[in-house]
Amino acid sequence: MVNGRSAASLQEALKIRANEKVVPYAGGTDLMVENRKDVTYLFLGKVPELRQITADDEYVRIGAAVTFTEALESPLVPALMKEAVAKIAAPAIRNAGTFGGNLGNGSAKADSVLIEFVSDAKLRLVSVRGERVVDVDAFYLGRKKLDLMEDELIAEIWLPKEGLEHYYYEKVGGRNALAISRISFAGVYGEKDGKITKCACAFGAVADTVLRYRDLEAMLIGKTKEEAKAEKEAFLAAYADRMVLTQGRVSAEYRKDVCLNLLRAFLEKFGI
Amino acid sequence: MEEISRSVVKKDHAAKVSGRSIYVADYPSDGVLTGRLLHAKTARAKMIGVELPELPDGYYYVDARDIPGDNNVNIVLDDMPVFCRDTVEYIGEAIGMLIGPDEKKVEELLGEIKVYLEEMEPVLDMRKAEKNFFEYNFGHGDVGQAFAEADRVFDEEFETGYQEQAYLEPQGMMAEIEPDGRVFVHGSIQCVYYVHNALKRVLGCGDEGVHVLQDVTGGGFGGKEAWPSILACQVAVAAKVTGKPVRCVFGRREDMEYTSKRHPSYCHYRAAVKDGKVTAIDADVIYNAGAYSTLSAVVLQRGLIAAPGIYNIPNIRIHGTAAKTNTTPSGAYRGFGGPQTFFAVETLMNHIARELGVDALAFKEMHIAKQGDLTSTAGRYHFPVPVKEMIEEVDAACDYRKKRAEYASPQTGRYRRGIGMSMYFHGAGFTGSGERDLIKAVAKLRKYSDDTVEILAANGDIGQGVRTTFSKIVAHELGLPLERVIFEHPDTGRVPDSGPTVASRSLMVVGELLRRAAIHLKEIWADGKEQEVEERFKEPDFVLPFSIETFEGDAYPTFAWAVNAIELEVDTYTGVAKVLGAWGDFDIGTPADYNVALGQMEGGFLQGIGYASIEKMDYNQYGRIRNNSFSDYLIPTTMDVPKLVCMFHVEKYPDGPYGAKGAGEVPLVGAPAAYVDAMEQALGGIPLNHAPFTAEDTLAAIRKEAI
Amino acid sequence: MDAIRFTLNGAEVSYAGSAADRLLDVLRNNYRCTSVKCGCREGECGACSVLMDGVLVNSCCVAMGAVEGAEIVTLEGYRETKRFAALADAYGQVSAVQCGFCIPGMVLASEALLAKNPHPTEEEIREGLSGNLCRCTGYNAIVNAVAIAAKEGDGLW
Repeated sequence: MVNGRSAASLQEALKIRANEKVVPYAGGTDLMVENRKDVTYLFLGKVPELRQITADDEYVRIGAAVTFTEALESPLVPALMKEAVAKIAAPAIRNAGTFGGNLGNGSAKADSVLIEFVSDAKLRLVSVRGERVVDVDAFYLGRKKLDLMEDELIAEIWLPKEGLEHYYYEKVGGRNALAISRISFAGVYGEKDGKITKCACAFGAVADTVLRYRDLEAMLIGKTKEEAKAEKEAFLAAYADRMVLTQGRVSAEYRKDVCLNLLRAFLEKFGI
Repeated sequence: MEEISRSVVKKDHAAKVSGRSIYVADYPSDGVLTGRLLHAKTARAKMIGVELPELPDGYYYVDARDIPGDNNVNIVLDDMPVFCRDTVEYIGEAIGMLIGPDEKKVEELLGEIKVYLEEMEPVLDMRKAEKNFFEYNFGHGDVGQAFAEADRVFDEEFETGYQEQAYLEPQGMMAEIEPDGRVFVHGSIQCVYYVHNALKRVLGCGDEGVHVLQDVTGGGFGGKEAWPSILACQVAVAAKVTGKPVRCVFGRREDMEYTSKRHPSYCHYRAAVKDGKVTAIDADVIYNAGAYSTLSAVVLQRGLIAAPGIYNIPNIRIHGTAAKTNTTPSGAYRGFGGPQTFFAVETLMNHIARELGVDALAFKEMHIAKQGDLTSTAGRYHFPVPVKEMIEEVDAACDYRKKRAEYASPQTGRYRRGIGMSMYFHGAGFTGSGERDLIKAVAKLRKYSDDTVEILAANGDIGQGVRTTFSKIVAHELGLPLERVIFEHPDTGRVPDSGPTVASRSLMVVGELLRRAAIHLKEIWADGKEQEVEERFKEPDFVLPFSIETFEGDAYPTFAWAVNAIELEVDTYTGVAKVLGAWGDFDIGTPADYNVALGQMEGGFLQGIGYASIEKMDYNQYGRIRNNSFSDYLIPTTMDVPKLVCMFHVEKYPDGPYGAKGAGEVPLVGAPAAYVDAMEQALGGIPLNHAPFTAEDTLAAIRKEAI
Repeated sequence: MDAIRFTLNGAEVSYAGSAADRLLDVLRNNYRCTSVKCGCREGECGACSVLMDGVLVNSCCVAMGAVEGAEIVTLEGYRETKRFAALADAYGQVSAVQCGFCIPGMVLASEALLAKNPHPTEEEIREGLSGNLCRCTGYNAIVNAVAIAAKEGDGLW
């Protein structure tokens, strides 16, 4: 085809990626809006290895070219991810948009990426040279900056199978459908033997990348609910202190108010 | 239900639902050149000149120097140019047009044009305008004395923002020179004769030199009232210069950023209260007209006439200006000046009632005008004012009073509720004497030898259904099946000037002409013969002539009335408000077709709720509108107001067909007032003074008031 | 270079232009499928919706290279079906069509919804049409039309 390359297998795609200057194209929903001039797309929609959802003992593996609609219909995908993905835009976009594209676009507004951050997901990146597995937060270097080499493709997203059952998720968009996140929040909670084991909090669409502060989360880890309650205001204040947000379609001040309110709602949901 | 109100399958249904309708962008491109406008990127500047790249064969550039006639687009004042003169007055102003066979090449060449300007400091704030295009003062009673004698005086300011029409089909127009030299223009148009007359002046020709056809038009809402005249002149000049058909269809961002939208407003109201009643209103109203005057005179007039609301206030003083700023020219949008002042006066009345410690609904009811009372322009409400009955109908539909009382008790949780109400009118038809003195509408019926009857009228179906309702009227009077009555999109080469498709006038005014024409045709009907009848507008006898100099008389022969209630649930953590329900009761007289009328009410009401809540548009410090796409300017989707209930209250108008009166605009007008009233209640009764009221505004209010 | 082959409304076609071209533009300009409307070019309005391998997509956000081997259905093809007749009739009963510009996309979104869920609730209908903006109707009539089609066209989906 003219100005485009199509691959029928991952092997073929990686060869093209290694040898030519191509822009990986999965669903097109972001790329086509960017309307880049003079690009050669590498069409990945027919690469079978990128289109599967599988599971091993530890992870649910979502192929980079899996669409949001496909994920919604899969019994393997965790409820938290489904809840976030169900709120992306509208059916036509979810039918085309993919997990790999959501990552590759590099935006902190990407709704599936928020869930990947909060759940400590890993990404499998592949090239003709081999493959590597990176943590999602290490993959995001900054606004629109990704740890992805010129010859690499995102192959899979690995979501932990366990530990995502207790969560709080909220997307604040400008309207009830067809909305880009203005602020999004996901929190994952865990406790064992009366002690908090997990308190992951991720904030989307409020800065250059999805935000997560593991040292602040640690303030509540190992505590009982009662102890956590006593620590709650200090916990919230620490976030208020730490979060430096950017202005976008809404002001930084509004974003911060909402982030802190949702963080509080997360704690409240789990009795803190 | 009246016989006429029974719904039919719309005349244009089959073609539209099957995708067969041809909109202007859908004509084949063979031999048609694409025109793209060169838009100014500076809000205010002296124009020095442009430097063109080398244009390949078949590519052209046209600007003001190519205009055969007068570089003035005929709207109200002579200020809007076809292509900019020696100054640039807003970002987006058309400097020239690049034309050629290949769209991509045209875009590329356009990007290579160098524009030389001497930048000047733009005026952006309407309150600091150096110039007012229009200014009006009127009133009655003794306002000074009323304030002197008042128990309490209220002083408040209100602001409303832009609203973009957001028709789904962007502006588009095509022009070609016919073999006989006539210029033929067609496109997405509300008012073919506005375009026709604008072209005559710009091309320097008479009626014989031009004709204008309305193509299937993908929505207008006022946005295709004046702008098509400008675009038509631009493509017509291009067709003249190139000698080839030229088409220009706007992109969405171009359309949103550069074409006219609803006037932002600033209102300063003072009210005098004595013995628990409002005795005087003194209102100072500013509408941001933008860079050129376009339709601002009439928009402002309608807004000012509505400034005291539907209330009988014995002493009023109204002052208003249409301020010139270096921003996109504001223009017509459904409601046409009414939504801004109704928002102000309704909200003011709510605030006064709250301060006086009385129920807002009861307080308003105490002031509602009744039949025979003076209007704001010292005309008369000639017909019954059914608002009190409509309040009861809305109350019955949504349990308004009960919910209002319930939500008034202190709320403490994350989610808090409120319900609000607005009541208002929309003057039916043109403001003042325009219909009688300027428009002088004519409509015809032509019967063919096969006994089909064609309607010859200039009103365009832009989705509101006039092709269907006009045909129904004629078929009804003639006793013909609907398919024997034809009404095509108007072409000024074939139809008389029955006036523009604006001001909720088409059905009431032209529909009535057609009804009378049909009665006449029936009287002279001769099978198998070609016959033609014509009717001309006559002002009803009861109308008290309106004077624009004194602002006295009947500004409208009658009014459409409405009561809206909106119920919200506000998330105090995010500021996001969920519309739990919206109820609108509308008196548009007799619906000419129940489904068509209901569709108008539902569509207009939802636009109003968007205007009140999520439709935010503003310019930055350079005068550039930033909310220029469907992802930055949000309009409601199917998911935003799932419970939208519209009802009819029928108060027949004797001079409209079967009792019909203006319908198209009234559903939009009152939503901001009802929405903000509900928001105030959900937020514990704090006063709010602007619309749209967004999620961000809600959290700011919560922060400020420490709710 | 090989042309891009795909099926358009049941017919095998091939496109020799750029793989980066938009499906929207190619449908309109090369195949005269003018029912496919351009409302925004950014996937934000749904006016250009088509069915691609049976699922609803915004054709403005699909590059031609992704269409290789796909089955594309626009209203030009769909309007020949019984399902369309049921939807068209239902839309007509409630006058759900005003300006008509969103309607081709809306009809195909209705088809995509009913094909997946022949008896949707009102909420599911609203969700199914949520990517298709309409500025005229306020949506009630369109939602009602889909409910009517589901009922009266029972068995078609």
